[in-house]
Amino acid sequence: MRVQLFATCLGDLLFPDAVADAEALLRAAGCEVEFPRGQTCCGQPAFNAGHRRASDRLARSFARAFDPDVPIVAPSGSCTSMVAHHMTAHFDVRELSSLLDELGAEPPARNDGLRLAYHSSCHMLRDLGIDEAPRRLLERTGAELVPLQRPDLCCGFGGTFSVRHPEVSVAMADDKLADGARADALVTADPGCLMHLRARAARTGAVRVVHLATALARGAA
Amino acid sequence: MSFPVLDEHRLQATEAATLRLLTARTEAWTRLDDVEALRERAHSIRMAAIDDLDGHLDRFIAALKAAGGTAHVCATAEEARATVVRLCAGAKLAAKSKSMLSEEIELNAALEAAGVEVVETDLGEYILQLAGEHPVHIIAPAIEKTAGDVAELLSAVEGVRVEPELKALAQAARRQLRRVFERADVGITGANFAVCDTGSICLVTNEGNGGLVTSLPRVHVALLGMERLVPTLDDLAVLLQLLARSGTGQTLTTYTRLLTGPRRAGEEDGPDELHVVIVDNGRTGLLRGRYREMLACIRCGACLNVCPVYRKSGGGAYGPVYSGPMGAVLVPLLRGLEREPGLPHASSLCGACTAACPVKIPLHELLLDLRRDLVGEGIAPRSERLAFTLWSLLWSRPLLYRLSTAFARLGGPLGALAGPGRTWAAGRALPVLARRRYRDGR
Repeated sequence: MRVQLFATCLGDLLFPDAVADAEALLRAAGCEVEFPRGQTCCGQPAFNAGHRRASDRLARSFARAFDPDVPIVAPSGSCTSMVAHHMTAHFDVRELSSLLDELGAEPPARNDGLRLAYHSSCHMLRDLGIDEAPRRLLERTGAELVPLQRPDLCCGFGGTFSVRHPEVSVAMADDKLADGARADALVTADPGCLMHLRARAARTGAVRVVHLATALARGAA
Repeated sequence: MSFPVLDEHRLQATEAATLRLLTARTEAWTRLDDVEALRERAHSIRMAAIDDLDGHLDRFIAALKAAGGTAHVCATAEEARATVVRLCAGAKLAAKSKSMLSEEIELNAALEAAGVEVVETDLGEYILQLAGEHPVHIIAPAIEKTAGDVAELLSAVEGVRVEPELKALAQAARRQLRRVFERADVGITGANFAVCDTGSICLVTNEGNGGLVTSLPRVHVALLGMERLVPTLDDLAVLLQLLARSGTGQTLTTYTRLLTGPRRAGEEDGPDELHVVIVDNGRTGLLRGRYREMLACIRCGACLNVCPVYRKSGGGAYGPVYSGPMGAVLVPLLRGLEREPGLPHASSLCGACTAACPVKIPLHELLLDLRRDLVGEGIAPRSERLAFTLWSLLWSRPLLYRLSTAFARLGGPLGALAGPGRTWAAGRALPVLARRRYRDGR
């Protein structure tokens, strides 16, 4: 299967290793992975803040970068949702873990004996309805999944929300991190949640937060 | 203005109570045969009334008149206040049952200015009245108060110490409120729904005070939001299946009252006069266009209980009346976006509200649309528009994206000095741009 990898801006700029892990997983699952070099960002930050002219500009740029006839894969629930639901052009876009699960991927057993908690990112869960695939994949790597009390609760990022309401945003991150404290690592499939939770955990010394692609390809330890 | 987090005392009370309510709702929903089908049906019942609001209003008013009641249609909050004040002329004491609409039109202050003493008889509202505070939750107005807080307030009225224990508190409140019911000249309530076929108003309560307010005083004034109409009793039954389940997890509230006209000849209970004050106050302005779905709201409070922002910041942060996701959508629509530009941003857009709404209002999508309008109508700050325009001009061109992110890496730590970076860095480490972008390694 030929796929176009959409690294997403956060993936490209902050988490290149997680994107490389996503690419490795796709190749191992039998995909031929292309990386369209014209890609930048899906425009979601502007879209969610109400700036539609700005997000339209990014959507046009996205449409120039990607071939509409080849499936697109993104290691991000929220960017997948943006491309799938909020662009006028139609793309066959897939979130990484749902495609891997569908392809019957068998990621290496790098999490044997590890207790991992999975955070169901909001767009992933409620916009895309993907919740079981990442868990199934993690279990295939030997991890024991520790249930969160509130897996569906938002981590508090919310794009510009995180700087418009910093106090509430941080308090929400603390709740999520505390909920995952019993695990060896908290796993998320969304670079936005990853950035936010890690940034807070760096200040408080809370649980490790790992991107799903990394946890699957190289283990979450 | 950014929302603060509640102080520890109020935060604990709010988080515990909302968690209890949202857990009860999810459990109650799973006990329904097909909750999705029921939500769809409830949505279409509400939208049918909104699609032909005038027709439904005419039918309700005619049926109400036939049952012996009187309708007063008021375009504005001011008109509604004046109408209730006129209906209370000569009265000394009004006993009130819970009504968020009365908060919306700021009724109590108007009545008191006209010399009518007003006593809230819903336990939560009574507690807040004693504390001199506004409701912070549409169905559990005193959600931030603990038993200890309530004991203190009731003790002050009793003159002796009331134990912070549920039975003692309820008994003290009951003693205090009985004196009000006995003396009240007017009973004022809200109305959860009005049934067009029969002219009935429906009131759901858990305390029984609503029954005393609507039967003991000589005059009953019911405040009805103009959109809260349902065509038939069968339709009402559908909505009632969802209302209590979504609000408190109950199958039905303890009391569900259908009041059809005032007391008739030969009947023992009920008021001599029933007046239904039907309030528009901005609602008909939403009838056409994207936001009409907000009129479907049945005020169950489910979206407040699941909202992580509400649970941290409390209802007061949103303003004095409606709060949580439904308030963040409704208040700007009723009062004008230019007066409430902050509310559409009081959400992380997590969508938990939309998933919890029993009548399927796409709350977080409406918030997105309101944000679009903030920009489209020129209400969003010029600096913000400029920043997004510049950003999109750079990032819509791959070369400029590469250049700008290379520069950003050099200046990275400076981001903590001002603007959003500084706000972010107050509680979080600034994200560090990778030395090699993914694209550089490819």
